[in-house]
This record gives sequence, C-alpha cells and structure tokens, in this order.
Amino acid sequence: MSISTQPQSFSGDEAAILQELMNIAFGKASADLARVIDIRIVLNVPQVELMQADGLLGRVREETRIYEALSIIEQNFWGKFSGSALLAFPASARKGLLSLFAEEPGERNPLLEKETLLEVGNILIGACVGKVAELLGDSVSFSPPRLNPHVLLHTLATEIVPAQLGGPDKGAILMKTVFQFEDRDINGFLFLVANQDSMQWLQTALRNFMAKF
Amino acid sequence: MIRKILIVDDSPVARAIVKKCLPADRDFLLAEAGNGLEGLEKYREEHPDLTLLDLTMPVMDGFAALEAIRREDPEALVVVLSSDIQPKTIERVKSLGAALVLPKPPSAESLRETLATVSRLLGS
Repeated sequence: MSISTQPQSFSGDEAAILQELMNIAFGKASADLARVIDIRIVLNVPQVELMQADGLLGRVREETRIYEALSIIEQNFWGKFSGSALLAFPASARKGLLSLFAEEPGERNPLLEKETLLEVGNILIGACVGKVAELLGDSVSFSPPRLNPHVLLHTLATEIVPAQLGGPDKGAILMKTVFQFEDRDINGFLFLVANQDSMQWLQTALRNFMAKF
Repeated sequence: MIRKILIVDDSPVARAIVKKCLPADRDFLLAEAGNGLEGLEKYREEHPDLTLLDLTMPVMDGFAALEAIRREDPEALVVVLSSDIQPKTIERVKSLGAALVLPKPPSAESLRETLATVSRLLGS
C-alpha cells in the first residue's frame, strides 16, 4: 500500500479505495494497449496522494529525475470526475516506442513518432480515466491529446500545470502509476490529477462504489 | 469442498471486496496476506483449499508467489484475481499453474461461479 498523505478532507479509506480503482483501471488500459502492440506491460502498485496543484511539477520531476528530458502527452477530462492526465516517457524512448508499432522502423520520422505517442496516450489515458469514471458511475469527455515531445526536466515549466486544476494553490488528488514494456528498456509514467471541485463528488462516489459489494 | 480460503492482495479494499462477494450462505475459514511473500508464508501455515492471488504487489509479486506455492505444493489450487488481464499475463499465470484467472473487481456471481468451477476441479 502506498498512500503517502492523509489529507484532512480525504480519508485514508477513501484514498485506499481510489488506489484500488486506479489499479483496476490501469489494468484495463494496459490490456487494451497490449492487444494492439502484442507486448506485455509490467504494472506496478499505483499511488494516491493529496497535494497542492503547484506541487505537481515537483512530483513529476522527482519521479522522473533519472531522465534528462521527457515526452509528455497531456489530456484533460470532464465529468463529475474532472482533471488532467499526464503520460510521460523518457524522450530517449521515442524510437523504442515507435518500434512497438512498426514492424521495421526505418529512418527517423518525427511525424510518425508524434502520432505514435499520441496514440499510446489516447489508449492509455482514455481507457484508464474512462474505467475510473465508469466504476464510479460517471462518464467523462476528453480534450484532444496534446504532445510536448521534448521537455527538459530542469526547465519543466509551470505552464505544464494543467489549467483544469483551477490554480496552483488549489488542492488536487494525484494518482500515479509507473509501468514498463516487458523486454524493452522503456518506462512510462501516468499521472492523473483530479481537481478540487471533483473531491466532494468523488468521496460520495467512492462510498457508493464500496456499498455495491 | 472449498472451506479454507487464503486471500493475497496488498489492497485492504480489494480483500474487503472479496470477503463481501463470497457466498454468505457458506461458512468459510479465511486467511489474508498483504503481499506475495506473506502469502507464501500463510500458505505454508494454513494449507488453504483455495488461494485467491493478486499479481501486482510489493515485496513479492503474484507471479513469484504463484511459482513458489506451486513448487512447494504442485496440487495447490490458485485462482489469480487481478486487474492485469493482458493476454500474455493470463498465458503466463496459466503456465505457472493458476487454475483460473478472474478479473477485478469480482462480483458475488463471478466468485460463486469460480468456487463452483474449482470445486469441480478438486473433485476431478
């Protein structure tokens, strides 16, 4: 169990339920992607914590600190469950990611790399967020995914803090999972950030989810 | 007849869901463990009729636990209960000796069916 903060407005029990939902949802998302690429995705135990929106960048930096630069796919989602998703890969993994889809990668093709990253983001973020929402009795809409192909970690700027969070001083729930593509040296990081406005609904929805059993 | 069940999952929520979904009209003896290593130790202590095993866990994951349990007891009846439902994962745990794979979250119905299936396996 990896729940690092017990915020005043979000109990340990609620965080534990959300962690299990994230586990179920990312399992579904990885299965969707694995069916496309025919490579197993190694999952890790997700983590949930409450933080201020302006702490998000620090957490992304901390989690990905061994890499010089990242490729980040960002997608916002709206419903009763609202927030932003950031899917990050080491920028150096772009070629490896492309090889997951192409039988014989040829010369470097930036457009194909961009489309590949967006597609991976679309599958993982859509399936994961969609499953969390579904389990909680909600449905969400998504913005088109936005790719920043090369973000230097030390210059990771505050504009990456998603506008959906409603301001750097607002609270946010961070759900994070790290994964690897088996037999490939590629790690990925998925951060879901639910905004403060979702919290009250989320607490009720989490209780309702457990009441079903 | 399945009487003693070992639930191995790092999430207390997942373990609670399993307990709530088990048929209420049956009297089970339950044991729990929070990771694969604890699960292996509990298996040795309890010798359960059935082990419900998660895969994504800290300390020792479910793959390693399944392999160790089946190495020590080739007759061990293990059902993998996991959110990791990738085809290659299912293939791997079946090759390691899992009797069944059940996706999370379970329901009362899916657990009842699972118990019926593994009971038939025990009887065969």
